[in-house]
Amino acid sequence: MRDTENFGSPMNLYEAGDHAELRILLITGGWEVRRSFNQMGIQPGDRVRVLRRAPFGGPLMIDNKGTQVAVGKQMAEKIRVEVLP
Amino acid sequence: MKVALVGQPNSGKSTLFNAVAGYRSLTSNFAGTTVEYTHGQARVGGEVLELTDLPGLYSLTPTSAVEEVSRDYLLAGDWDVIVNVIDASQLARSLELTLELLDLESPMVVCLNMMDEAARKGMTIDTHALEFALGVPVVEAIGARGRGIMETFRTAQQAADINRPHAFVYAPEVEGTVKKLTEKIAERARGRPVTVPKQSGVWSQQSGDSSALDRGPLSCTAGHCSPACSGHPPAMEGSQGPRVVAVAVLPVLPPAESLARPQPTQLHSPIANHPSPMSAFPPARFRALQWVQSDPRQIRRQEPEVAPAVEWAQAEIAVRTGLPADAAVSSARHAACLTLFERVVHIARPRADWREQVDRLAMHPIWGYAVLMGVFLGFFRLIFDVGKLGEARILNLFDALVAALAAHMNTQGALFASAKGAVLGTAGAVAIVLPYLLPFLVGLAILEDIGYLSRVGYLMDAAMHRLGLHGTATLPVLVGYGCSVPAVMATRILTSRRDRFIAAFLAVLVPCSARMTVIFALVGFYLGANYALGIYLLNIIVVAVSGTLLARIWPEISPGMLMEVPAYRVPAPRVVALKTWWRLREFVLVAFPLLVVGSVLLSLVDYYGWQHGINAVLSPLTTLLGLPRSVGLTLIFGVLRKELSLLMLMQALGTTHVLGVMTAVQILIFTLFVTFYLPCMATLASMMRELGWRLTLAASTALLAIAVFISLAARVVMLLF
Repeated sequence: MRDTENFGSPMNLYEAGDHAELRILLITGGWEVRRSFNQMGIQPGDRVRVLRRAPFGGPLMIDNKGTQVAVGKQMAEKIRVEVLP
Repeated sequence: MKVALVGQPNSGKSTLFNAVAGYRSLTSNFAGTTVEYTHGQARVGGEVLELTDLPGLYSLTPTSAVEEVSRDYLLAGDWDVIVNVIDASQLARSLELTLELLDLESPMVVCLNMMDEAARKGMTIDTHALEFALGVPVVEAIGARGRGIMETFRTAQQAADINRPHAFVYAPEVEGTVKKLTEKIAERARGRPVTVPKQSGVWSQQSGDSSALDRGPLSCTAGHCSPACSGHPPAMEGSQGPRVVAVAVLPVLPPAESLARPQPTQLHSPIANHPSPMSAFPPARFRALQWVQSDPRQIRRQEPEVAPAVEWAQAEIAVRTGLPADAAVSSARHAACLTLFERVVHIARPRADWREQVDRLAMHPIWGYAVLMGVFLGFFRLIFDVGKLGEARILNLFDALVAALAAHMNTQGALFASAKGAVLGTAGAVAIVLPYLLPFLVGLAILEDIGYLSRVGYLMDAAMHRLGLHGTATLPVLVGYGCSVPAVMATRILTSRRDRFIAAFLAVLVPCSARMTVIFALVGFYLGANYALGIYLLNIIVVAVSGTLLARIWPEISPGMLMEVPAYRVPAPRVVALKTWWRLREFVLVAFPLLVVGSVLLSLVDYYGWQHGINAVLSPLTTLLGLPRSVGLTLIFGVLRKELSLLMLMQALGTTHVLGVMTAVQILIFTLFVTFYLPCMATLASMMRELGWRLTLAASTALLAIAVFISLAARVVMLLF
């Protein structure tokens, strides 16, 4: 079975701006990727906030219900998000 | 009574354990560093509790070897009650593990730890509502201040006998299929010959054992369970009836039959004529859920017996929910968690937190790196200063001991030679351990417990990516500056074998404290501190180049870093002490004996005059590098003990004034070679254990090649200028 289709959503988590309220729409990528996000309690539908980002293509720090998680660039690019007003 | 302490990393369960069981466990502030689980005993209310502190795990679907340890322990079922420790300030995420644990339908108590932290975040938690929703007792605690700890264990004691929680029921799209899968597999099992299970209820998804169904818990679902099966804790008698809520909540006691502790003979009696998979451990529904969530490729490979049924179930869930089956289950669980969270937590404005300000600096895109440099330069400076103070005194002490031995023994005999070797070996080990390794490990444990190392991981992730690793791998490489042995062991926190290999290789490449003494005593002393620092810089370049090359040779499969960054905490002295001891113990147990034996061997070689043969064998190498022939033996024994190459050099040359015998260039080349070539025996031993002999051999060959290349290059460069 194909894992998840690419819906061509407007942006991924890595492209989203800092300090913005975001909603996670979809976690693309395979079983391992989904499992890792699941372990950190990150799922589609969650509201998260980008706190800061490391330079040179480093990770983002996001806050999800009080849990702060560092998300590497490649991982962040696998999350499709929408910016909440 | 056996109590299993289960919780996500940084939930503070080890603090709870230490408070009652004494100095035998670890707590950590860097996700997943408690590698082996610890046992301890505590006397609570006149009964001795056997406590097991499991390594932190985020879920029962593990991503690292560390988590697997905990999962396997839980599924083996050799415990009476689970104490699920939760960081109350991270309640939403922590509940996911709690719900998974409820699926085990076994006695359990939830300990809401760090209530003060939750209050600071503005969270008010309705403990009673949570208790009612979960159907297990919930105890509030502040482990760091010793509050609620005894109550937790007292409640656990009561819960072990009467509390049989229900599993949480998820969305019908998931539950319907899971139920059908459970029935299908039970039917299969009924049609099969029943064998007596050797081990009660051991079921491991990663066992790779296709016959798990024949021996496993399903064989006792056929109602022929042997007394050997009595070990498993849960009995499902109560699970068909009304939900049994903990006594702590309801004054009304549950029905009598669910109160009775299951005896081996009556375990399956209520359903003996109607064999049901519900009577096994782990419960059939739990197993079905795990299968549904597992990787289809893995199931097909490891458990071909159930694979068709599981694939059918996964397909059905995917069709019904529009999501891959694992995502459907985890999002159903996530939804249940969030609903629960919204119901029991009220969030007000959080109190202003100075730690947010600290992070603004410590994780700043520019200042963050300045802080990082400052912290580590200061750190190494401090260690070096402390180390220098201690080393000379310790060595003097042992010199005096050798002199005393010489006075009382026949100095011409082989016995004296071995005794002297043993004393000098111990001296070398102690002179490394006490002054350098100990302060290093203490400092590292403090940085780790404060939570700074997670920030280092965040800052270094981009750089580590160039080496084909993630920020998470920063810890092993840093430990490598202290001692390669615990560094290699620290690679266990990484998820893939590839990451573990690269991290171990780089950690070994980094000069450990033994090599540091060689660098400073030879190059630093004879050529100047700038040259010594130059070797460190060169080392960093070599680490960068080899990391880049390794990442090309063995491309990355794992997608990237996902790491919790915990809040800063005041390090607990006891925890720091324990963690230091834990790492030191690996050095003492693995390296110490090898050091002493190596030193004795060395003395005997010297005594019997074998060095000429060895030097002759190694002469091609020494000639190639332009070194005196007599240092050949030194290199051999550098494998036994790194800092021994220094001692040996002086012994081989017959002088402590090295510059009189070797030129400055030769000293530099020798030091470079010693810095990069084979790791010591103790490190090789731990590499074999963690990576297997193939990878260890590959790493050793590569290291040797690097050392020859660098020393040759240095020789050429020095000849030209």
